[in-house]
Amino acid sequence: MPTTHRPTEPTTDLTTDALTDTFSALANPTRRAILARLSDGEATVNELARPFEMTLPAVSKHIAVLERAGLIERRRSGTTRPCVLARDRLRQAVEWAAALEIEWTARLDRLGDHLDARTASTSEVAATPVSDRSATPATPTTPARPTSPDERNPG
Amino acid sequence: MTDTTTPHARIERTFDAPIDEVWRMWVEPSEFAAWYGPPGAEIPVCEMDVKEGGRRFVGMRMQGPDGEMQMWFVGAFVEITAPTRLVYTESLANADGDALSPEESGMPPGAPSDTQVTVELQAIDDDRTAVVVRHVGIPADSPGAMGWQMALDKLAAHLDD
Repeated sequence: MPTTHRPTEPTTDLTTDALTDTFSALANPTRRAILARLSDGEATVNELARPFEMTLPAVSKHIAVLERAGLIERRRSGTTRPCVLARDRLRQAVEWAAALEIEWTARLDRLGDHLDARTASTSEVAATPVSDRSATPATPTTPARPTSPDERNPG
Repeated sequence: MTDTTTPHARIERTFDAPIDEVWRMWVEPSEFAAWYGPPGAEIPVCEMDVKEGGRRFVGMRMQGPDGEMQMWFVGAFVEITAPTRLVYTESLANADGDALSPEESGMPPGAPSDTQVTVELQAIDDDRTAVVVRHVGIPADSPGAMGWQMALDKLAAHLDD
């Protein structure tokens, strides 16, 4: 009996697509700069605002977006509340992308096999037969690039 | 040049086939169903209204840890420029094609419910085609932000220490 992927009980504390919020928050150069700064260690809002040509409230707004997206946390330290990078959420985003990459690699392997199989069957019925193509094993597609401009790149 | 400003999967591959043939693999349902999905999966449902804004509905059947498992994906074609560029959205769906949240469909919490796939094809010569696939968590429509991937790599490296 086929088990379909059925709705599970709704989780209470997680929004439906938390990572989509994360991605939206990341889609802004100022916020990424803030995260990059925080990857070197915690900082106060004032410290974070310094390199930017914008008002403190404007920077605070970006920080609020990052906090809502789960990318940073505010720590209480005396009278200040320094911002700290929330590594778990960022890691989740990176892992999501990495998992998809693995998935697509497998898919494109299959696309290559499918194309090879088609080519093989086409050459069987071709008017001019090309050697014995079906005898060669269906090799996975080789990344045959004519030239790589990267190789000429010094450094 | 396409710029993606969020974490995304990017896969590049060269196929020993002419560009028109590789293109058909993506826009003809019978061809798409023949290769898509993880090994061992079947694609019993593959509906494509191949025009911009047209609906795309794909059903997948595979063996899971608890027996046979089915999944559906629904979305729309965003851009169709044969044979070089294809953009479509994709969300998890139920059997009726209604988009679901990740929790509703039993996916890990936090998985984005709305994703976008961009496929770019380039003829290397008459018999070879280079393909670049990008998959992002949300439509990457924010301009600029070059070097984002590098910034993310740097952050990711930081995460490991």
